[in-house]
Amino acid sequence: MLRLLGYLLNQGVVTSKDYCAPLEDGLGLPEFSDRACAGSQCNECRSVCPTGAITVDSGENGGEVHLDLGACIGCSMCVRSCPQETLVNSKKTAVARLSRDDLVISNVDRKVPLSLSRSTESKSLFYRSIACRVVSTGCSACDLEVAACGNSIFDMERFGIHVVASPRFADVLLVTGPVPKAMHDALKSCYEAMAEPRRVIAVGTCATSGGLHRGGYAEANGVDSLLPVDLYIPGCPPHPWSIIDGVKKVMDGRQA
Amino acid sequence: MKVERREVALSERAETIRQLLHSDGNRLGLISSINGSQLISLVLSPNEGTAVCWESPLQTKQYHSLVPVISEAHWFERTMWDMFGLEPENHPRLKHNLLHEAYPSSLLPLKLGFDSSVDGKSEGTGDNTGSGAGNDSGEGIVNLNGRDYKPMAVRGDGIYEIPVGPIHAGIIEPGHFRFSCLGEVIFNLEIRLGYVHRGVEKRLCEVPWRKQRFLVEAAASDSAAAYALAHSIAIESLFDRSVPQKAEFLRTISLEIERAAMHINDLGGLAGDIGYLAISSTMGRLRGVALSMAEQLTGSRLQRNFICPGGVIFDPCLKLRDIKNSAHQLRMSLQPVMTFFMSNEVARDRMENIGKVSARLTADFGLVGPAGRASGERYDARQHFKHGVYPRIRVPVAVETDGDVLSRAKVRIAELDTSLFLIEQLIDGLPEGDALVKLPDSLPKNAAGLGIVEAHRGELIHLVFTDGEGKCSRYAIKDPSVNNWTGLAIAVRNNLVSDFPLCNKSFGLSYSGHDL
Repeated sequence: MLRLLGYLLNQGVVTSKDYCAPLEDGLGLPEFSDRACAGSQCNECRSVCPTGAITVDSGENGGEVHLDLGACIGCSMCVRSCPQETLVNSKKTAVARLSRDDLVISNVDRKVPLSLSRSTESKSLFYRSIACRVVSTGCSACDLEVAACGNSIFDMERFGIHVVASPRFADVLLVTGPVPKAMHDALKSCYEAMAEPRRVIAVGTCATSGGLHRGGYAEANGVDSLLPVDLYIPGCPPHPWSIIDGVKKVMDGRQA
Repeated sequence: MKVERREVALSERAETIRQLLHSDGNRLGLISSINGSQLISLVLSPNEGTAVCWESPLQTKQYHSLVPVISEAHWFERTMWDMFGLEPENHPRLKHNLLHEAYPSSLLPLKLGFDSSVDGKSEGTGDNTGSGAGNDSGEGIVNLNGRDYKPMAVRGDGIYEIPVGPIHAGIIEPGHFRFSCLGEVIFNLEIRLGYVHRGVEKRLCEVPWRKQRFLVEAAASDSAAAYALAHSIAIESLFDRSVPQKAEFLRTISLEIERAAMHINDLGGLAGDIGYLAISSTMGRLRGVALSMAEQLTGSRLQRNFICPGGVIFDPCLKLRDIKNSAHQLRMSLQPVMTFFMSNEVARDRMENIGKVSARLTADFGLVGPAGRASGERYDARQHFKHGVYPRIRVPVAVETDGDVLSRAKVRIAELDTSLFLIEQLIDGLPEGDALVKLPDSLPKNAAGLGIVEAHRGELIHLVFTDGEGKCSRYAIKDPSVNNWTGLAIAVRNNLVSDFPLCNKSFGLSYSGHDL
């Protein structure tokens, strides 16, 4: 017992102090750089994208490229194929957005949509603690990353975020996966069991848009086809920092 | 690897397969169909490293079940009933496996002629039965779709049932468990899966083959490297192409990092379920080291988008020295932790003689991976089938014979050590050259390709068929969990309900890999 305690003490503190640190080796989601884009003359990025997240205007705006991060699986194929380096790896981890539209970025209108709070007037909804119920409906990648948020490296409990075992105790529902048909009823009853005020977070690209599974006979088209979603965390899977950052945004959010 | 295709008449099928499986270490790979008008049975010969796909043309949708002679066929025949509408006669317990009440009974996704853009949608115009909307009523008690499901009822004085799921208390995928108990002892566990069925196999036949790999990796992302590798080998065997040695080494490094990360995860989970939190939190930290190795190698913590047909996407040569150092340090850090874990009497007491699976049942139900090897089954696909540097490079096979939770933990500990050691060796011996070859644009016509990989849970099979136009006509995936879910149901019998989480974790099964 003493030897074990000694061993644990010797490990030191491993918790990361750098909130939402950019990725070192990871690639992260793509973003647009300042470099010019050949638009519909090139089309490389659109043709390699496995989820159809990229659209290229061929009309009079010829050259405007839209990238839907809510459908992006972060495979970086567009970045690798881009001849002008217009698309680059962002390496950012704070990627959560409050609305689905804010996830669509463009090379022309380079606004950084960060509408984080609904309204600045009223007080914060959940103060300094938030209880999360995690419902998995997908491939377990996002579940592993949500679980990793609780390890001693990311340690989400220091921010007041904890995972609870019943929707009855929960403030926020974290849904991972594209929600295929067999999970529709279970997910709805889980949501209905939660007390108001309650929030829903779509964790990962599948939960946001259905991702690679969208449009199949299993009707796995994402959470917002069933429940009102308050925050989207893109990524396939999102980095633990992205998840912590997303939950914190809901936690710090204002009453509607 | 190449797969030989042979035909056997339906009337002789059962006897032929039975005899094959009783000789010379042969194993059942999978049973399925291509489009509903034939049965295919993949028989593996590990000793020769070969595989034969036996095809039996069907006249009607009925056929004689293999289950009375080959127990492990039970799960495959249920899946075929859902996906193709093929009805096995004399199946001891036929029930729906993947498609739940919410789906109309006319939905047969993999049968010839099914078009997922038209059929099966609740609001679709092609749904002339009108029953598909039944799940939107919210009252869903009466099932209009004719897909009733009744768990096995155990009757008697004092017997009661505990239903659990599909949503579980922790952070884990969905599935339904129904325990029939007497007091605290489990009589029977019925496992119902299919909650994360997303139609992956159908979608794989709809997308261009160069985009299949993204979907394959997302089918069960905790085995992304293994899935991508099995897919790549299957596609390369269609083209009859091999990849450069350097790619084989990098793929193996990726596969072994995944195995190490997931074994650490599973062992940490075991410690957590016992309540040995010092170990589980240390394992959480050490898994982080394995994941950063993965991130250095592939740019993704779960190794997405690295292994591809033709080799690997890019050559991470500059990072390899760091990865090797991390592997060495991780191996050294794990040793004292594992000693603490295995020498703790309380921990041992919780694991010893709990959740036992006998060697005979292990063989009958074809358990694979650490779960099989913990019950005396020596099979490890790395010894037999070509994937990565295997079987040219030999790895020691970790075998235990007690078949309990402790044995499954010991097998994982031994494999974890081997994997990390191997990563160091492979980086040292990495050959020079390219890591990617270009493959032709269109798939060969009327061909079959096979990929067999030892994933961290065991033998993973990808079997691909193309049609007369060179389109993928069937993509069959057999996750190791397909074999092993039955193992869990066997293991918990006559154990305490409170030991179920421990038994479950010791198998560490995939829901999404099974459900697809």
